[in-house]
Amino acid sequence: MRRGLAAAALSLVACAAPQVHAAAPNAAQWLERMTEALATLNYDGLFTHTAGQQSETMRIVHRVEGGRSMERLVSLDGSGREIVRTAEEVHFYMPDRRVVLVEPRGDEGSLLRALPAPGPELDELYTLAVRKGSKLLGRDVRVLDILPRDVYRYGYRLWLDEETAMPLRSEVVNGEGRAVEAMHFTQLEVRDRIAARELEPAVDATGYQWVRTRKRGEQQPASVGWRPRKVPPGFRLVATRVQVVPGVPMPVQHLIFSDGFASVSVFIEPGQAKGPTPPESTSVGSSNAFSTQVRGHVVTAIGEVPATTVRELATSVVPVEELATPAVPAPDRPDR
Amino acid sequence: MPQTEPKLESNPMTDQIREQMSALIDGELPRDQVDLLVRRMARDAGLKRAFGNYVLAGEVLRAPGGVLASPGFAARVSVAIGDSDVGELAVPSAPGRATLRWRRPLAATAVAASAALAAVLLVRPDGGQPERFAERSGAPGTLPVVSLPVGGSSPTPGENQRLAGYMVVHGQYATPIGRRTVWTNALAADPGITHVAPETAEAP
Amino acid sequence: MRPMANFPPPDGSTEPHELRDDAGGPPSGTELSDLELVRRAQKGERGAFDLLVLRYQHKVVKLVARLLRDPAEAEDVAQEAFVKAYRALGSFRGDSAFYTWLYRIAVNTARNTMASRQRRPLDYEADLSESEQSVVESRMRHGDTPEAVALTDEIHRTVNDAIEALPEDLRTAIILREIEGLSYEEIAEAMDCPVGTVRSRIFRAREAIDRSLKPLLD
Repeated sequence: MRRGLAAAALSLVACAAPQVHAAAPNAAQWLERMTEALATLNYDGLFTHTAGQQSETMRIVHRVEGGRSMERLVSLDGSGREIVRTAEEVHFYMPDRRVVLVEPRGDEGSLLRALPAPGPELDELYTLAVRKGSKLLGRDVRVLDILPRDVYRYGYRLWLDEETAMPLRSEVVNGEGRAVEAMHFTQLEVRDRIAARELEPAVDATGYQWVRTRKRGEQQPASVGWRPRKVPPGFRLVATRVQVVPGVPMPVQHLIFSDGFASVSVFIEPGQAKGPTPPESTSVGSSNAFSTQVRGHVVTAIGEVPATTVRELATSVVPVEELATPAVPAPDRPDR
Repeated sequence: MPQTEPKLESNPMTDQIREQMSALIDGELPRDQVDLLVRRMARDAGLKRAFGNYVLAGEVLRAPGGVLASPGFAARVSVAIGDSDVGELAVPSAPGRATLRWRRPLAATAVAASAALAAVLLVRPDGGQPERFAERSGAPGTLPVVSLPVGGSSPTPGENQRLAGYMVVHGQYATPIGRRTVWTNALAADPGITHVAPETAEAP
Repeated sequence: MRPMANFPPPDGSTEPHELRDDAGGPPSGTELSDLELVRRAQKGERGAFDLLVLRYQHKVVKLVARLLRDPAEAEDVAQEAFVKAYRALGSFRGDSAFYTWLYRIAVNTARNTMASRQRRPLDYEADLSESEQSVVESRMRHGDTPEAVALTDEIHRTVNDAIEALPEDLRTAIILREIEGLSYEEIAEAMDCPVGTVRSRIFRAREAIDRSLKPLLD
């Protein structure tokens, strides 16, 4: 399997950048190799995750079968939470709340189709560079930098295993090159096969509240009636979705923004009956969220981007009807 | 030098229970007796205290002069865990000690809790692809500075189930490395304890 | 196609067996009874978890006190570790001993507390809101007030005196159990008596110690 993948990787490289010197893959190619490795290899590892002042040990198991990628991510000495992504669903086990969230998988189609190929725009937003690094876990590594050129996005510093392109260590870095969070494997096995039982959760969820989504296949003609007035530099709206929430009359709308590498989701749900809530900003590691009220709805932007970006996006979405009219500054906003 | 032991003034029933506790500590109590004993102990502070002293005996034997948990420790843990939907818990203090307040996480509203759930309907206007947008909205350039008041103490995603659910949904639409980052953070978020600086250090 | 070899784990990891503070650790009888208590606690029986706290409170406080620069915070951190363990109880499957799992949580909690006390070389983004930046700034001092130190000393003295005063067969039984970690069967063999007698002797030894502690701790 590995040999086959290596061949596929090479052919991808050859198609994508024919003018590159065949001997030394460049940074963009290393990024593609890594993305593909993460998505297509079978692996099982333990890593230490550090964000802010907290660190904890986690395990990740990744299994590919029948063209679908499945994974299990579990916190070993922190919250005990787990996320298990099977062929059909994603389960989020929260033993601290005795709740399991269940939703169907969002991606369809083949693995490789789901992988974004870094385009030329990526260079406008990030600086890419690759160099040889010192050994990690006894392996030769390349250090790949994807550093942001502005404050609206985070980048990565990745220590990639030369043979498999698996990231043995990674840091999420901000515009000043400082690490916002980090993870490094203390143990990693890349295997031909991973048994299905390795994806079984450790949590015994009997007695838990199971919160399930509806079955897939139920389609409703609906469209997302919200659009951003302005987007942060480099980002654009790439997809929209609708979520139906039981007990809530209006669907929750979901906008997906991307700059080709980082992504942000904006969720729009009906507001609280009891009145306006103050805007709030939260963050965990490099994941930031911003919540605010717009036209009686609660808008939440969330993504692996700096707080500035989620705030800008959350405060810029409006009902689509408002875009048709010429932009008139709202009374509470400064004139441009 | 055998000595006679002072007579125990407890009744045989209590003796039997306490002997079971002693066996439980050593892992020598038959499984079928554990249930009843645990329930009895849950109701009886005296039994718990005795259990604690039995454990203490072992600790002192193994580590003479060593560090010990203070007498109220287990009770404080129990209070800290306790199922209270009251806003704040005052931890019982002992002489010479300040009071620490542990603030409980705010309960999610019904909508907030359920917002991450239920049906996910992908909008598919053209056979298989989500809607895609080619142009950016708005002109490139600097964005106006928007200053908004930020709410006081913000719940972390770990305490807010809604945000945790959103992180899981969002992760599905990120690149593999982005998904791993977001999901790792969804797992890593502190599950329930908000640490706040004590507002007042009350003298007992 | 041969599978790739495991990447060797780095050194310096804080595995429980490197830092165990008591010789031998709990024997399997205790592990099983821990598992019994954990199962009940997972089903919602708080009483069962309270017993686990009672059983391991000293071990955890002792462990944490050794790891922290300021041992006076040991009880706060130990308390936090127990609460975390309670909340994460659903994920404990029994693949390891309960105490091993609890140990790791305690070490992790202590490590995070230490990290929050001093700036690390890798300066992490101060993009977090105020409330998240403030980890508990405890003003409590459980272990190091003069009264607390005196009490601990007195507890040790009282227990040791009580043990010294025990009839020899009771003292032998409890020492073989608590210090040597022998099972009832093994003690019965060593003392050439029935298992029931062993159980009774250990119980009576503990009762005598409990009686002597009563006036001190009530």
